[in-house]
Amino acid sequence: MTAGAASESGVAHGALLIEFAEAVHGTDEARLAAARSKVLEVLGTEALVDAAGIAGFFNAIDRVADATGTPLDDKTLADSAELRDELGIDQFRHNPGHG
Amino acid sequence: MKIREDLAQAQSRAWDRLGRPGTWLDAKTRIAVAEEIRHAPGCRLCARRKASLSPYGVEGVHDSLGRLEENWLEAVHRIVSDPGRLTESWYRKIIASGIAETEYVEMVSVIAHVVAVDTFARAQGAEMRPLPSPKAGAPSRYRPAEARTTDAWVPTLSWGQAGAKEIDLVSGPVSNIRRALTLVPDEARSFFELAAHHYMSGPQMFDFSKEYRAITHAQIELVAARVSALNRCTY
Repeated sequence: MTAGAASESGVAHGALLIEFAEAVHGTDEARLAAARSKVLEVLGTEALVDAAGIAGFFNAIDRVADATGTPLDDKTLADSAELRDELGIDQFRHNPGHG
Repeated sequence: MKIREDLAQAQSRAWDRLGRPGTWLDAKTRIAVAEEIRHAPGCRLCARRKASLSPYGVEGVHDSLGRLEENWLEAVHRIVSDPGRLTESWYRKIIASGIAETEYVEMVSVIAHVVAVDTFARAQGAEMRPLPSPKAGAPSRYRPAEARTTDAWVPTLSWGQAGAKEIDLVSGPVSNIRRALTLVPDEARSFFELAAHHYMSGPQMFDFSKEYRAITHAQIELVAARVSALNRCTY
């Protein structure tokens, strides 16, 4: 979900949705128009609306979390401990709770 | 393009509220913040900072519409343009500059509402909604007595610990993000009401026996995770 071939997600139409999410996040309007058209063609209007809704909401809630210094939930920390250790990402992590 | 009626109405409610006096900010300030949110992507200082290894070594003056003080501009522009690299020391400097914590939280909420609705419009290829005209009236200035600074930078309500008027905001499965805006309860309530229509309600999120949208739970979380990774959001 963070890098690599989108087809590895195992989610139906994952590559298409990742491309859409990346295009929404970026500033290339041509890329966004192409991604939008593809979502419409493959998944339909309602799916485009829902995907756009998700992209909009998470673009917003990310800012709420980062601007308020909201820390991870204890359960999320516990559930992700093994994965974070395996990836070694904690050593790079800017921790909003300790910034 | 026709959008779900519930989503259209939720956005209309959010937009109407945007133009009304808030808890700490009058409507004129709320709209000035909203205008600056839309202006920030063109800011040259923000662009230089975004491109730099650290935004903290790049000084300058924000390109602005001239309706907010410089400290407000710094807050709005940084949250809009580079939220993933905000630090607690930056936040403390913003508060020390004269923005009250309550004002700051309401500002964050205004940013969140506008970014959600504007991103949605752009994603669909639609025009951005015109901002509402600010309505007259004074902010309510209500601060919940139970809000404290604990594990976040800003004061919040703790889970399960609130007065009768706010207990619903911090009940159910523990979620720190749902506490984030609770220093200003009306903002927390408004934002998560919008969330229920942009995304899903709390019960819908965990009900894997049914798909509530035209895309599946897995597809929803894939889009969500990719956007958050691109924003470098730790949470």
